[in-house]
Amino acid sequence: MGNKLGRRRQVVDEKYTRPQGLYQHRDVDHKKLRKLILESKLAPCFPGDEECTCDLEECPICFLYYPSLNRSRCCMKSICTECFLQMKTPNSTRPTQCPFCKTSNYAVEYRGVKTKEEKGIEQIEEQRVIEAKIRMRQQELQDDEERMQKRLEISSSGRMVVPGEVEYSSTSVPASRFPVEGEEIVASQDSRAPLTIRPPLQTRQNRYFLSINDVESLASNLGCRVGSPFYELEESGKRRNPAYGDAAPSAQYVTGDRFVSPEMALPAESSSSPSGGLACAIAALAERQQIGGESSLNYNGNMSAFNMLPGRSRVSSGAVQDVENYTPTESSNEVSPDSRMAVTGDDGEWGVDHGSEVAEAGTSYTSSDTIEEAGVAALPPPDEIEGSFQNVTGRPIIPESFEEQMMLAMAVSLAEARAMTSAQGVAWQ
Amino acid sequence: MTSSSAPSRKALSKIACNRLQKELVEWQVNPPAGFKHKVTDNLQRWVIEVNGAPGTLYANETYQLQVDFPEHYPMEAPQVIFVPPAPPHPHIYSNGHICLDILYDSWSPAMTVSSICISILSMLSSSTVKQRPADNDRYVKNCRNGRSPKETRWWFHDDKV
Repeated sequence: MGNKLGRRRQVVDEKYTRPQGLYQHRDVDHKKLRKLILESKLAPCFPGDEECTCDLEECPICFLYYPSLNRSRCCMKSICTECFLQMKTPNSTRPTQCPFCKTSNYAVEYRGVKTKEEKGIEQIEEQRVIEAKIRMRQQELQDDEERMQKRLEISSSGRMVVPGEVEYSSTSVPASRFPVEGEEIVASQDSRAPLTIRPPLQTRQNRYFLSINDVESLASNLGCRVGSPFYELEESGKRRNPAYGDAAPSAQYVTGDRFVSPEMALPAESSSSPSGGLACAIAALAERQQIGGESSLNYNGNMSAFNMLPGRSRVSSGAVQDVENYTPTESSNEVSPDSRMAVTGDDGEWGVDHGSEVAEAGTSYTSSDTIEEAGVAALPPPDEIEGSFQNVTGRPIIPESFEEQMMLAMAVSLAEARAMTSAQGVAWQ
Repeated sequence: MTSSSAPSRKALSKIACNRLQKELVEWQVNPPAGFKHKVTDNLQRWVIEVNGAPGTLYANETYQLQVDFPEHYPMEAPQVIFVPPAPPHPHIYSNGHICLDILYDSWSPAMTVSSICISILSMLSSSTVKQRPADNDRYVKNCRNGRSPKETRWWFHDDKV
């Protein structure tokens, strides 16, 4: 179980095998906890630091700093062991939800201290989240204008309905009530309200959410619901079905993770490539480097994500691809431009943007992707072969140093951004 | 259904205190757009000024949110109400109670005061009519002895936020 590639065994001091008293834990099996910590399945209960010194990670729940944290399977968010132990809601029959993305059956894994690479990648992701926020703000301004115009057109009709007056079914209720957008972008992602999904919204989502890995905070901000008090006097038959209660929030969380997690819940065994996006891809790349030439697992699990997220999983799905599998097939037409844009020697310059057709071509070389393609540099058009590619012998060229990996990561990120602005990207001759 | 005075006034736990202090610092560095919080000695109750977003029904209007933190914040949701007069909104009652799932069932300890504020502003911004909930009078009557909205069993049926 877990990740045999990523986990680094460590000897844990006995005193860190039990909670440090952050919370009053009830129902914690201390023996079990100790065992899990000693087996490196959960992060040790280090006492959290108030200040961030050197290489500590912040737990997003208690805001304390730790040498290492657990990660949720669904969305890779960190959490300290003591906070994790609090997540099980007592007196609830519902499966525990991930506090970050609301995926049900919340589970974490422990992979030891984050590598430098992973940290660097996180910084990049953060940067991208900030950029996305700026774009969202701009969009909001635009939306405001649209909204004003809409309002002029909409006559306020049939507004709030008193609970109990109408036979609500959880799926139907207010879905199509008012076609206003803005924050509703998120609500309309809810699969229970397909009526509200209108093409313009869709494109906007793609533009903003698919490209970023880490907007749970935004997501949870916006993915919320309103309603009215429930009166017990009114027929209990209209009560919210508990099962529905679970379904609802999980349908609400947004962003890339939304698309990835349901699938990834299953192949979690192969979690060294959680296909959480660029960050994970590159983390996987880094990890792969660490394990040397060991051939990678079968990442079929990524295919579903691949299909849903052509823009991104392209990057993630193949980071772990075994080079030997890469056979130049008829899809080479699509591939070659990529290779040209691949790493050129030391400067690690990247460009990306194969248009959408590459996603199509995915079937022929399912898990190939920019990173590996570039690393392999399998098919540079003859005229593009640089001297630096001479040493390609079928072993993947993977950036050796951290700096190179960082550059690579940044370049991919840049290229992605570029790809977003220009749909088809660079025109190949 | 019995009444009780607003939030339990038990002192914040150590962890709640620590987290709130950090949220406060973060707020001061990077406050959510449209909100103002005057810092007081009382870490357990924040009173936050909300400015309606430009271009919405509540543009140029100012309201006050009162956020009370329970002993076990963030494991438990804070109590968030508008200080009357509350904005007229189909999901905001005249006593200031807000029907918004993240304040109750869907609270997650990963949320923050700042994220709550953004949700509330987004709820206001998406409104198309300035109108009280249809059951406003009845609900407010039910709560007249100072019941906390956290004791209400809310029914969240409207995804349009």
